[in-house]
Amino acid sequence: MNNVFLSEYLFESAPSLELDNTGREKRSWIKDPIVILVIRLILASVFIYAATQKIGKPLLFADEIRMYGILTGGPLLYIISIVLPWMEIFCGLSLISGIFMRGAALILAVFNLAFIFVISFRSVLIIRNEGTPFMSIFFDCGCGFGATYAWKKLIEDALLLAGAVLIFAAPPYRFVFYPRRKRREL
Amino acid sequence: MSSMKRITGAIFQAAAVIVISVAVSFIHNALSSNGIDPFRKIDQVPVVDDSADFGADGIRIITLEKLKEVIDSGGVVIDSRSAAEYRNGHIPGAVLLDYYEFGRQMDNVIPLLDFEEEFAIYCSGPLCEDSSMLARELYTLGYRKILVFKGGVERWEEEGLPLAAGGI
Repeated sequence: MNNVFLSEYLFESAPSLELDNTGREKRSWIKDPIVILVIRLILASVFIYAATQKIGKPLLFADEIRMYGILTGGPLLYIISIVLPWMEIFCGLSLISGIFMRGAALILAVFNLAFIFVISFRSVLIIRNEGTPFMSIFFDCGCGFGATYAWKKLIEDALLLAGAVLIFAAPPYRFVFYPRRKRREL
Repeated sequence: MSSMKRITGAIFQAAAVIVISVAVSFIHNALSSNGIDPFRKIDQVPVVDDSADFGADGIRIITLEKLKEVIDSGGVVIDSRSAAEYRNGHIPGAVLLDYYEFGRQMDNVIPLLDFEEEFAIYCSGPLCEDSSMLARELYTLGYRKILVFKGGVERWEEEGLPLAAGGI
């Protein structure tokens, strides 16, 4: 690792395979490139669809963010409402194409952590102010899928978070649309 | 590839995705007709006080009592939220005119409006801006008796007043 070029960071090379003592490749099913590919496509479609619902409607999205009572005005609110849908689009495209895939997975993991945090925060506020039981909390999270129960949304976001972490932790492949298995020359 | 290098690589990649997204989103925002100035002040609508006079600006922020008067006198009430929100529950008698679907939905609403008659616009609650944005849009078409009910559906529900569902 004496000469590491930026391109080496951005585009990963094909993995060297770990072999067990019978000469078979050591890899659990959860790291199987096909499984990872399916997870990538699911995450990509969820985020691209969600983004198309709010892209180009920054004021509408800003209103939805305001409802959380965390950020109610100022440039940061509007910048988030302009940029976030596009970040979802590019993360989705990145997961599909495999370009910058691990970076996109990292962003989506951070996003989902943030979503889980703000949805919990808003739920706690609703419980405190209105006394609504947790399972009955129902609101439009502004995610792009319309109003739903908060507990459903939390489970959904936890699954998406898990998916993003799996993609992040998956063995490195380069530019994979269809996963290739290439043995590195020794 | 060492795991350290993979993590550093992921951070570089994430930075690249962020830079591309920020660039594209700001370009799109600048070109889009719905684009906004991120440094805008909330509600740049000219606000005349709650008294009887519309003044030169033609847009007035009204209270729930005034909204009830408008409804009782048969005035038009416009819901500026999305069609889905409208279907879930709107102020009875209100017509839908989603600010973001103005071009497509205006034909249903414009014939109901009279330049000499007051009409009211609302959205979800005190923090939403769609009603004010729609008021500005209608102002540019020449209307000068526009009432904006800032309390919105939230205020309406607080009073225990009923909402109507469906409708479109």
